[in-house]
Amino acid sequence: MEYSNLRRQIICMKKSLFDQGYLDEQFNQLEELQDESSPNFVEEVVVLFFNDSSRLLTNIEQTLEKYPQDFYQLDSLVHQLKGSGTSIGAIRMKNECSVFKAHCNDKSLEGSLQKMKREHATLKKKLETYFQLMRQAGPRERAVNSRK
Amino acid sequence: MAAAAPSPAPAPSHSPKVASPKACDRKVVPVTASDEVVLKEKHVLAVDDSSVDRAVIAKILRSSKYRVTTVESATRALELLCLGLLPDVNMIVTDYWMPGMTGYELLKRVKESSKLKEIPVVIMSSENVPNRISRCLEEGAEDFLLKPVRASDVSRLCSRIR
Repeated sequence: MEYSNLRRQIICMKKSLFDQGYLDEQFNQLEELQDESSPNFVEEVVVLFFNDSSRLLTNIEQTLEKYPQDFYQLDSLVHQLKGSGTSIGAIRMKNECSVFKAHCNDKSLEGSLQKMKREHATLKKKLETYFQLMRQAGPRERAVNSRK
Repeated sequence: MAAAAPSPAPAPSHSPKVASPKACDRKVVPVTASDEVVLKEKHVLAVDDSSVDRAVIAKILRSSKYRVTTVESATRALELLCLGLLPDVNMIVTDYWMPGMTGYELLKRVKESSKLKEIPVVIMSSENVPNRISRCLEEGAEDFLLKPVRASDVSRLCSRIR
């Protein structure tokens, strides 16, 4: 009873993450790679992403505060952030990065940065909840879920 | 799955029982107790400055039964290769854009080295820049993969690995 509730929650949550455009097909690709030899693969990669991206966002913020602004460095940092976001299927993060890049010449990057940070924080919270549910459901859930 | 070319590993002539392996097979098949010729797992060196991308490409490659070594920079990759610390690398998969030495520069160095030039090099990039792609192929890259890389992209490469 408990398990099927959890299962339903997980399926709902995943569907909404996709419907609201937080995640795309790449996330499914990662879930398909998950197997007995690495049963927590997706969560591990997502953790790597948030470690990386938190550091990158801090660096971006610091770089923005410098004058004159180092657009080359900024571009490089955002490129890295965009890249890893794409690799886990974090499509909204990816798009925010593209917007940020487009504004690089605008000198009004502060607003774009705040949007990126908000997007990042929201995604982190949602994925933390998602993986919490997955862990509660246990190993059985992964086999089911990977078939979308 | 692409049809696999026959493995170039020498089949021992005195043992006709050994079936010709597919290039993607990882099985170690000792023919006789005394026979030293074994069919090894293919070894891929994956180079990417992003920890996320390293984890993903390594997983994709391992799922396709390759042995994988990951490094985070082209400089480190060259170091290991030139020092002979990775003597049995069958393929290099590298990100294009990396701080310091780029994947393109790594490709050039590998192709210029008499010791390393036979190793197929595959470039990965998140950007679809036709100019970039043709430059890499002209420089001798085996293939050019657009990120995010998928398992199906890698299985295509399977038959090309020596």
